[in-house]
Amino acid sequence: MRLPPRPQERIDRSRELTFFFEGEPRHGFPGDTVGSALFASGRRVFSRSFKYHRPRGLLCCSGQCPNCLMQVDGVPNVRVCTMPLREGARVRGQNVLGSLDRDVMSVVDKIGGPFTPVGFYYRTMIRPRRAWPLYERFLRNVAGLGKIDRGAGRTRRFDTEHRRVEVLVIGGGRAGIEAARAAAARGEQVVLVDEGLGPGERAAGGSFEVIAPARALGIYEGGLVPVDAGQVLIRFRARRIVVATGAIEQPLVFPGNDLVGVMLPGAVRRLTDEWSLRPGSRAVVIGADERALSVVAELRSAGTEIARVVDLRAESPRRIAAEGKKGRLASVLVDGEGLDCDLLVMSGGRQPAYSLLAQAGARIEYDAGRGVFVPIELPASVEAVGAVAGELPSGATPAATYEGGGKARGKCFVCVCEDVTTKDVRRAIAEGFDSIELAKRYTTVTMGPCQGRLCQLPSVRLYARENGTDEAAIGRTTARPPWAPVSLGLLAGRGHEPARRTSIHERHVQLGARMMWTGAWRRVHSYGDPAGEVRAVHEAVGAIDVSTLGKILVSGPDAAAFLERLYPNRFGDLRPGRIRYSVLGTDAGRIMDDGTIARLDDDRFYVTTTSTGADVVSEWLEWWNAVWGMGVEVVNLTGALAAVNVAGPRARELLGRLTDLDVSNESFSYLDAKQAHVAGVPCLLLRIGFVGELGYELHCSSPYGEYLWSTLLERGADLGLRPFGLEAQRVLRLEKQHILVGQDTDSESNALEAGMPWVVKFDKDEFVGKWALEHVRERGLRERLVGFEMTGWTVPPEGGQIVVDGRPAGRVTSARWSGELRRAIGLAWVPAALAEEDAELAIRVDGRLEQARVRLRPFLDPDGERLRS
Amino acid sequence: MSFLIPCPNCGSRDVNEFAYGGEIAVRPEARPNVRELGSYLYFRRNVAGVQREWWFHRLGCEAWFQAERDTRTNEVLLTERPRASRDEAPPGPEAPALPDTPAV
Amino acid sequence: MKDVFRQRRMWRPRGELKRRYDVVIVGGGSHGLATAYYLAKNHGITDVAVLERSYIGSGAAGRNTTIIRSNYRTPEGVAFYGRSVELYERLAAELDFNLLFSQHGHLTLAHSDRALITMTERAEVNQLLGVDSRVVDRDGVAGLCPELNLSREVTWPIEGALYHRRGGIIRHDAVVWGLARGADRRGVEIHPGTEVTGIESSNGRVTGVRTTRGDIACDTVVSATAGWSTLVADLAGVPLPITTHILQAFVTEPLKPFLDVIIVSSQMHVYISQTDRGEILIGAEIEPYTTYLGTGTFGFLEDSARHTLELFPQLEHAAVLRQWTGLCDLSPDYSPILGVTEVGGFLVSCGWGTYGFKAAPIVGTTLAELVATGRTPELIAPFTLERFSTDSLVSELAAAAVSH
Repeated sequence: MRLPPRPQERIDRSRELTFFFEGEPRHGFPGDTVGSALFASGRRVFSRSFKYHRPRGLLCCSGQCPNCLMQVDGVPNVRVCTMPLREGARVRGQNVLGSLDRDVMSVVDKIGGPFTPVGFYYRTMIRPRRAWPLYERFLRNVAGLGKIDRGAGRTRRFDTEHRRVEVLVIGGGRAGIEAARAAAARGEQVVLVDEGLGPGERAAGGSFEVIAPARALGIYEGGLVPVDAGQVLIRFRARRIVVATGAIEQPLVFPGNDLVGVMLPGAVRRLTDEWSLRPGSRAVVIGADERALSVVAELRSAGTEIARVVDLRAESPRRIAAEGKKGRLASVLVDGEGLDCDLLVMSGGRQPAYSLLAQAGARIEYDAGRGVFVPIELPASVEAVGAVAGELPSGATPAATYEGGGKARGKCFVCVCEDVTTKDVRRAIAEGFDSIELAKRYTTVTMGPCQGRLCQLPSVRLYARENGTDEAAIGRTTARPPWAPVSLGLLAGRGHEPARRTSIHERHVQLGARMMWTGAWRRVHSYGDPAGEVRAVHEAVGAIDVSTLGKILVSGPDAAAFLERLYPNRFGDLRPGRIRYSVLGTDAGRIMDDGTIARLDDDRFYVTTTSTGADVVSEWLEWWNAVWGMGVEVVNLTGALAAVNVAGPRARELLGRLTDLDVSNESFSYLDAKQAHVAGVPCLLLRIGFVGELGYELHCSSPYGEYLWSTLLERGADLGLRPFGLEAQRVLRLEKQHILVGQDTDSESNALEAGMPWVVKFDKDEFVGKWALEHVRERGLRERLVGFEMTGWTVPPEGGQIVVDGRPAGRVTSARWSGELRRAIGLAWVPAALAEEDAELAIRVDGRLEQARVRLRPFLDPDGERLRS
Repeated sequence: MSFLIPCPNCGSRDVNEFAYGGEIAVRPEARPNVRELGSYLYFRRNVAGVQREWWFHRLGCEAWFQAERDTRTNEVLLTERPRASRDEAPPGPEAPALPDTPAV
Repeated sequence: MKDVFRQRRMWRPRGELKRRYDVVIVGGGSHGLATAYYLAKNHGITDVAVLERSYIGSGAAGRNTTIIRSNYRTPEGVAFYGRSVELYERLAAELDFNLLFSQHGHLTLAHSDRALITMTERAEVNQLLGVDSRVVDRDGVAGLCPELNLSREVTWPIEGALYHRRGGIIRHDAVVWGLARGADRRGVEIHPGTEVTGIESSNGRVTGVRTTRGDIACDTVVSATAGWSTLVADLAGVPLPITTHILQAFVTEPLKPFLDVIIVSSQMHVYISQTDRGEILIGAEIEPYTTYLGTGTFGFLEDSARHTLELFPQLEHAAVLRQWTGLCDLSPDYSPILGVTEVGGFLVSCGWGTYGFKAAPIVGTTLAELVATGRTPELIAPFTLERFSTDSLVSELAAAAVSH
């Protein structure tokens, strides 16, 4: 039932909206919230409480308390009192077994028993241990509020916006508007954000931007203020932040203070003024300031009969108790005087909403004169204005709690979110949880959905009284951001992770490639037949897209000296046009990456890295360059260049068809680097052989990659060319015992134990990692990376263990079936004592031990004749 | 997405644009023994106070610089390009990175 | 049941500090209290003071994401944490305090072939050492957690997982309180609000500590101060190979049961569980820079939300209720540093990174044994501080720290 039209009402009565509550149609108007429309439809019970399943009704009507949490359109835990009503909205109660009006679980409230005292779960269900999972199942099922639809996917699109402003005002009450106007008048660029729909009108005529409804989520380091504006998350950085978040009405603590019909003054004001609703027919009002007591006039204008007004400044009743029927307020007892009523308006004063300021670094102190916590010592560039700054009427300190009167035995709630009563708090103190932080964790006061807005102050007051001290000595618990609950969807924005594709990617897709991840790159696993791809490389020619390799140009007069100092291998004597391999090590001697380095001319080196190592290596080079200050420039060309490796006995023949370069073995030998046109594309050609056959890596500008690839495939078709993927490459390189850094090495591996002593030039004056490697050499090798071949046919799992005396003693890092060798081969870390040719290894496979033999030399072409041919 | 670092090249930017290079450790000049090497590689002052450290502007100018930051407040008191000289203190030796194993 | 309604103090109110104790423990977290508890229980050493700067459990013990597991990579780590899980399983009965240990299993997701190799390695090592741990494929993952988004049309498709059936979550505060009560009832004194300002030694041996509430003489000082370890060890003149970083976590508003197992994705730096209270608890990796400032960052919320929704798009509307931060003491090899130092009588438990809480009972038993017998128990011998000076690291890292 609505009251006749009122001057400040927010609803548009010319149009009706239909929504559904528990499947039944209900009606409201534009301007309603789901909560006000439900209230108008006669609903008074909005939720069931967390533990006792007591019926709860509108309390704050401003989105602070947990009393109106419902499921709306499948979204759990919606504060319907502030949720604008939409046509067709589907609204349901939550945390009930049955219905909001008849919740079977409310039996907990009646019988009490072991499942109610604070911390009961710590003291029960301990024995027998095997019964705990059953207890736990029960506990888990009764806990929680809203339900998640397990089958739901992401539905909405959220965006993130970054903004810089001169002044950001948070809160559009009178003080906030004034601050915004004043700043705008000084010519500053101002944005004001407010949670409600109201400030638009109040701000009319001001030359500043208003964003509402929108909630500031916090003031984070660096003055970052993220604002929840519905579908958009705005990340503000402001030169000056003005906090005008006002104050929050505090409930009084007395028996029955959670009954449906007990409200805070603000709720009454909003119901009557904004939605023209009568909050009750007969009311008792208890308050301590003008603002609270002034609701009397509003109530009268709405036709509510006033049974009694208790002005706590004038009288201090010792006993207050509310009594109800079926959870709904029926009467109030004030010092023995019984008053029938269906509405009790209570106010325990207004607590400045200081959380944002506290997060920004302000100190919060208890002001005994006003009975509230106030912010002091604000950080630079943050201001507080209005009620949040403590501009409150003085003398608004009501007594902390009230005993029940007469027969009243109702529960007396300190925290409605978590259903914590004064009895619980007293018990916690008696048990020794005497500091507020300990008690918070034990009783869970302030840890519920209101985030302490309605329970911090009352619990501190109670603590002070019980401990015989004052509120200042008790202090407060840390306010944790975010200031308002914010959905994961909004925080996530438009979910996207960086993913990299080579310039040849589309060709692979067309060829039906199966793709896989290596780091951020998408690469080809295979084109459907890895074994056939391996065969093609051994017998004819294959091509693989290796554009993902890190490609770094190191140039300058000191380039050679720089690489000489950085890498364990020697580069000072590398002739232009020649290539050398090295691992790259840290000062701890650990392998961080590997690759080939080609000297292009005196002052320029072309450094390649692993696919995942490009950025790390380029940062590493830059770092040492910054330290040593040598005449070197480092440019990471990884994304700019594509690369294709053409390998196989017929690779030369193919290349010869596409270039004028003399590709004979005499003039273009193994480990030569040359620049030439291939298929008309300017290329850097590196003759290297990761896959063990005669091969050329062709590096060219990325835009040419696709063309070069297609041309190679076309012109090589009659030679038996097949494109091959990583799977084939893994088999091929394993046949040669070429390592994959990061797979065959781990965080401790060094070049000596990884079986590459030839890479470490100890006779150099210095190089990064030399000291550590010298120590390794002196102490002797503890473990070794070696090749192995299985005695049987089983391919052991990568990650499988070498077992000695029943204990893990080493591990398989790579293992594959080699069609060429007709046996299972791999690489493994083994204790140094086992690193001998033919040594027997026991490898755990599916729980059994399988035999393998150590092979220290490449399985295939151990002398590299194919590479050099 | 928290504190700001004034990059000597690019100006004040969010810390997430940068890679942290660790506190500046002193690299031995001559060959250290195992204990001294361990001390250089692993032991850190880890001060609660002003720390001199390396940063790399990964999403910006891609340059390394040095900063003085108060680790109690994350206030960056000073940033400067490294003075190019062989005598300058060398970097923290291991670039910190997230591990392959889960945090919990 | 009777005890449920009886109000009995958990521990005595804080008393005056004595002038001397046999053992002083710095840090009233899970490690400090466990050490005190086992000193009293296993060795009858009760002249012990636990000094805590703030309130008990105020540091990492009350800020971690409460995951208990033993599926580590190194044999040393597996044996150590394996024993810890066994102790945790018995701890509630032992302390007569329900720790709400919920062993619903732990899934570490693999998003690449490379990650599967690491998982396999861990599973094989675990199995050899008797820890229940195995690799499951995509179907296995779907069976264990049907809510997970197993689509291939995501940035990081799930290829499989390491499944650890006995992994679980526990109520961290209850562990702290149960240990504190157990220690207190055996005579250990717990002193919250007591900050150590100095550690006295002579001839290379500890002789006492100075505190904000007076000086204490003692022969043994155990530092169990996690992120503040460097500062406490500095007082004793002991340098440590650790750096201090923040680790962040948040919870959503309570929801009805949605997720029983713990989901970890190191690829996406996120781990997700649902507490017995119904909150979805989400944590991340440590921040890369060192800091002692424990304020939360907003970027953490954004990144974690994005990653969480990749795995559980259903949680789009779940709302973040509060976030918090803890300090972590990171060691170079991600293994802990336990036991003796170069100063006689000064023992440390540090270098935990993000693993400390999982080890509380085993740290307590082994350090108590070390204090009582003067001998380092075999289980923690690999974790000495000395290993960083002798090139004998115990690396829990799979890939080299610089290329992951």
